[in-house]
Amino acid sequence: MSTEVTGSRNGCTDGRCYTADMPQNWGERMQDSGRITDMSDATSASTARNAVIETQNFTKRYGNFTALDKVNLSIPPSSVGLLGANGAGKSTLIRSLLGIIKPTSGSANVVGFDTKSQGIKVREHVGYMPEADALPMGTTAADFVGHMAEMSGLPPRQARQRAADVLQQVGLGEERYRLINGFSTGMRQRVKLAQAIVHDPKLVFLDEPTAGMDPQGRDDMLELVQRIHKKMGISVVFSSHILEDIELVCDYVVILDHGRVLASQSLEQTDLNLGEVVVQLDGDYEPFQRALEGHGVSASQQEDPTTGQNTLIVDVHDERMYDVIRDVAVEQHVVIRKLRSRSRSLEDLYLGSVYASGQEVEHAS
Amino acid sequence: MQANPVQEPTARYGEVFDRGYAHYEGQRRGRRGAITSLIGYSMKRAMGIRKSWTAKVMPFILYVAATIPLIVMIGVLAVFRSMGDLAEFGSFVSYSAYYGAIFSMVGLFVAICAPEMICVDRHERTLPLYFSRAINRGDYVLAKIVAMTLLAMTMTALPAALLWLGRQLTEPKARQAMVDNFPDLIRVLILGLLTSLMFGTIGLMISSLTNRKGVAIAIILIGFMVVTGISQGLSITLDEYSWSRWFLLGDLNTLVTSLSNHFFHDVNNNQFVEHLNLGRTECILVILGYALVASLILRWRYAPRDDV
Repeated sequence: MSTEVTGSRNGCTDGRCYTADMPQNWGERMQDSGRITDMSDATSASTARNAVIETQNFTKRYGNFTALDKVNLSIPPSSVGLLGANGAGKSTLIRSLLGIIKPTSGSANVVGFDTKSQGIKVREHVGYMPEADALPMGTTAADFVGHMAEMSGLPPRQARQRAADVLQQVGLGEERYRLINGFSTGMRQRVKLAQAIVHDPKLVFLDEPTAGMDPQGRDDMLELVQRIHKKMGISVVFSSHILEDIELVCDYVVILDHGRVLASQSLEQTDLNLGEVVVQLDGDYEPFQRALEGHGVSASQQEDPTTGQNTLIVDVHDERMYDVIRDVAVEQHVVIRKLRSRSRSLEDLYLGSVYASGQEVEHAS
Repeated sequence: MQANPVQEPTARYGEVFDRGYAHYEGQRRGRRGAITSLIGYSMKRAMGIRKSWTAKVMPFILYVAATIPLIVMIGVLAVFRSMGDLAEFGSFVSYSAYYGAIFSMVGLFVAICAPEMICVDRHERTLPLYFSRAINRGDYVLAKIVAMTLLAMTMTALPAALLWLGRQLTEPKARQAMVDNFPDLIRVLILGLLTSLMFGTIGLMISSLTNRKGVAIAIILIGFMVVTGISQGLSITLDEYSWSRWFLLGDLNTLVTSLSNHFFHDVNNNQFVEHLNLGRTECILVILGYALVASLILRWRYAPRDDV
């Protein structure tokens, strides 16, 4: 279960800070270090109370085109993957939740503020990293990030200090006084990330943060995103159409298709774990498998489809099975090279949701 | 007596500590702080501050160019007043003469600074970042107008205020002259404010129509010259008709000079001012009307759209 914070309104509790202009019940809304709520325990009422994002029939239309169709969400403080194909409505949802564009109907509440009537308050406490290039080339990273901190209401001196700190956090401490036009794509993405978190937001929207990056840069960016949530305690909404990225950094997923929410759930809740582990060995598989079966553990050999190497799929029904695997390896003098739980991929979930939605549409028509 | 043993330092010199990420616990100034910051940042960028030296060259040249007539005028004042022969040069060292002398420089200054404030944000697509901060679209437009007006005032009101000071200091009884002529200082500042507001908003409005800085500069410069030329040409060609004077409303120089004449009564033999023949309140209303229309168009350019 998550820890509820009931701290004073002007001060810091459990590493989070509150100011007088935040809603009375904000203390209840925040959770310790933004860790995911145990959804299986939570009632729907407590989920709504803890939500960083709540929407009711949130709809955005451009003429005859419906970009968002009655979106209903209640997202706990977590690292949220916003998944959908191009044109699914991800960016529109983010911009609407920031209060940048007004919804046609419905309402939304972000970090405790109503997006329609308190848009400025929302943006004061929320960060945003857009997908497109959005940096002034002829200025230094420190100058620009500092300016963005001031634009979120921080006084000039504190803004400069925070800019230096945050640029250090994203790995640009040494380069902060260089002009942005001399930066690589990866460095520019880091500057965009730094400006999104420089004012210490409660929630940050990252719109396709790995777009256009090379594999190394992408890995670094994903690591940074994980740090923002896990170490800095900032809730993250990570928009992407790359399933692997979301699987890696998110613990909650919202799937959008044609402006409709197909799924909104914790990744734990999606039961991605199939109760099996994949074991890769340095040594003979046959005796290892027989020894396991001798301990009452069922196992079967299978070829890894991506590497072509032999693997052992072991049924794991409780935590003690891991001890059995370890003990058998010791008995057999075999080295375990890899041991990971075998899960249904997010792709399965995504395709399943989209397929089910397609069926519904067909039914309706 | 036993000496206290020297304690070993607990931390080594030069040790690096990873402080990690620190949450911000301080004051948040909200919308007002954001607008103030945007005004300051826009002014700095337009002046080329914290940018490469090439960005500073043009504003610097224009400031120097605006200062030259000021120095000449104060010099002439000092020399001829000491000779007691100022009457002949009275109109040469007038406020209206100064505004006339720097008019084209103010136009050039606005043509350089306004696109820097507006086009760059559009061209570099930083608008989504601004609109995701503690301001709304109206605040963004307001901040740009204030920034441009304040910056233009450094070319209009500030040198004119220095001219006022120079005029008083060259008087035999400088302190008394300052007290007596204080209302002139207020008029100088109002004239500078109105001129800057009108030029600034028109410059920003034109800049908001394009993402390209060079294009905006060209349109502002050519636009001012062409509209002024057409206005003056039509008013001269059709001067037998009384309504031809309305063409001169397109000549911003004549408009400002008319208002200056109402304030200081120091314009002689200006056929356009005489032909326009506009009262003081009318002049102010026309100038404010230009600023209002330009501001509304500017605001319309920042109405919510899909791209920002």
